Amino acid sequence: MITFSNVTKQFSKVKAVDQLSFAVQPGEIFALLGPNGAGKTTSVRMILQLLQPDAGTIRYGESLLKTGELLRTRIGYLPEERGVYQDTPILKTLVYLASLRGMDPVRGRAVARQWLERFALADRAADKVSTLSKGNQQKIQFIAAIMHKPDFAILDEPFSGFDPINQEVISDLIRELRNEGTTILLSAHQMQLVERIADRILLLSGGRELMSGTMDELRTRMGDGQKLEVTFTQLSHPELLSASTQLDARQDVTTGQWVVMPRPGVPLNQVLEVLTRAGSVDTLRTTQANLHDIFIQSFGVNNGGSDEA
Amino acid sequence: MKHSIWEITKNVTVWEFNRFFKWMDLVKGFAFFAFFGLIGGVVGSWAGSQAAETPVVAVSAYGPFNQEGFEITAIRFEDRSALPADSLNSLLMGGEIDGILTVISDREATIRTNSDRAWIMQLQTHLNELRSGYKLEQLGLDAAIYTDLTAEVDLSREFDSGEVASLADKFLAGGAIALLLMAVFMGFAYQFTAITAEKQQRITEQVLSAISPQTWIDGKILGITGVGLAYVAFYGAIGVFGIIALAWFGAPVHQTLALINPLFLVTFVLMALIGTLMWNAFLAGVAATIDDPNTSTKSGFMFLPMFPVMLAFLALVNPDTVAMQLLSIFPLTSYAVLPARMVLTSVSWWEPVLAIALLAVTAWLLRVAAGRIFAAGMMMYGKEPDYRQMLHWMLKGSNQTQTD
Repeated sequence: MITFSNVTKQFSKVKAVDQLSFAVQPGEIFALLGPNGAGKTTSVRMILQLLQPDAGTIRYGESLLKTGELLRTRIGYLPEERGVYQDTPILKTLVYLASLRGMDPVRGRAVARQWLERFALADRAADKVSTLSKGNQQKIQFIAAIMHKPDFAILDEPFSGFDPINQEVISDLIRELRNEGTTILLSAHQMQLVERIADRILLLSGGRELMSGTMDELRTRMGDGQKLEVTFTQLSHPELLSASTQLDARQDVTTGQWVVMPRPGVPLNQVLEVLTRAGSVDTLRTTQANLHDIFIQSFGVNNGGSDEA
Repeated sequence: MKHSIWEITKNVTVWEFNRFFKWMDLVKGFAFFAFFGLIGGVVGSWAGSQAAETPVVAVSAYGPFNQEGFEITAIRFEDRSALPADSLNSLLMGGEIDGILTVISDREATIRTNSDRAWIMQLQTHLNELRSGYKLEQLGLDAAIYTDLTAEVDLSREFDSGEVASLADKFLAGGAIALLLMAVFMGFAYQFTAITAEKQQRITEQVLSAISPQTWIDGKILGITGVGLAYVAFYGAIGVFGIIALAWFGAPVHQTLALINPLFLVTFVLMALIGTLMWNAFLAGVAATIDDPNTSTKSGFMFLPMFPVMLAFLALVNPDTVAMQLLSIFPLTSYAVLPARMVLTSVSWWEPVLAIALLAVTAWLLRVAAGRIFAAGMMMYGKEPDYRQMLHWMLKGSNQTQTD
């Protein structure tokens, strides 16, 4: 559907995207993950031709092209920078935004009503957008992004601003869209949700690919896909944990528990040996590494700064 | 699914027009002013009728003038020369009389009232006349000689062009300029509001992912120009109805109506349409570069379209100067100056043709340039481009964003 080949984009002295290559396959949910400034939004804007790459090529699937030009009617977009007309009625706003994607106003009105009913907002159709709560305004923007049934939808932080219940609703909708044939490019920080719905994931850092693949593939690349949750009665040599070349370890600041992930190819015995040398192990539990663990382990501690790129 | 550029431009145009043109608000606004105008008229008429009651002036001394001379319709003089000053003051305080006149000599008199009164000017005029009569009598001159002495030279005015702008001409030209001013002012207000609000509300990225910046700005220019012209049409129609109503009641407005000929109407409508489109393109381009309208130095640019309209008012004074002739062809000013000149003086046939052609070409070029600035400016948050950057975008476009 979308193929990046050695794409580079630079702003002044900052390389936002650096020789990035990846492909989004038709019918999949493809997640872009990375810390702030990793190049996610720049990549999305280049796909939409809001920015042009300095080098490399972006190829589009045939369903997104017409006489060589990008067919915007077949694309849906929920930008990270959210905004919607505040002073116009909800239904009219949706019909207008759908009309920009080529949707006939009569059909647009019918489809918009269906979506509003689904989000329990049908009785507010004639109200101005500004009268809605922030969460409900997010729903209006989500509807505007996908109501024309695009072939390819880009959802940048679709869960932000929603409570956990509505996050579940949105994640179900994304899967539903995928099942109905829409290819989805997703960028989000809610790891649990991304892990559950994404078919493939691309981890970005500094505009470059760190790793990509399915969850199982990512786990394998991070080791055997297992993690150890360890508590110590006494931790005499914490430096052995942080300096070890056989494992990655970090302490959960809320529980005090140590989360330890073996490096690829390192047998569990060697990991246990490092742990026992570091201190007296009290409890030890083996679980499967989740996306959050992989993310943290890939990037180290949380990055600060803003997502300018 | 329909997605031709024309279809999308039409959708944006209709959307922008409907966002800002509110029939009911217009009618309510007009009804509000009409209602208060009516109240003002009634109150003014009542106040006038109150003021029309003939004031009573007590004359305490006539000086050298004859008592018989104190006879005019605007003031009722009463002889109270026998009453003492205290009694006269009591009458004045009690409201029984409106003033006390004391004539001391043919050069000196006093009028005592509770406060300043409008009829004192008429009293002054009448006293002047009494003095003239008194002096004529003293000098032994009769009225005919006096009339001859004070007669003015009858200066008739002739012009090389054989034409002169009458009051009716100036009324029509002034009306046309005022309507243009309204169209431009509406464009200024709504274009500014529309674009800066869209930037601040972060709507731009969603729209620009669906349509090209040029299509978007084209729709905005057309929609908001439509709003301005709809207001002009509304108030223009009210003005025409007002003139017809005045004619119905016998006011001499037929001169003004006679000036509205088809050639003038066609030129005025064409130039108003293209001129407003041109300036709306300019305004859209500038507004797209403004990040915060409260602090931006570029906000001042938004007043630039007012300039040619101001120049057009100068044409009312003298429409035949070389400067006015040039300004009526120069594309940035012609849409306001030429219609005014067409009413006030005779213009050659080629002047409107050339002015419209130049205006149309300039409007098209400005539309393209504004589209390029708009494309780059709308995606720029948190900072504003400098003038060099804007010029670069205008001439070469931005390599940061899409273009048509």
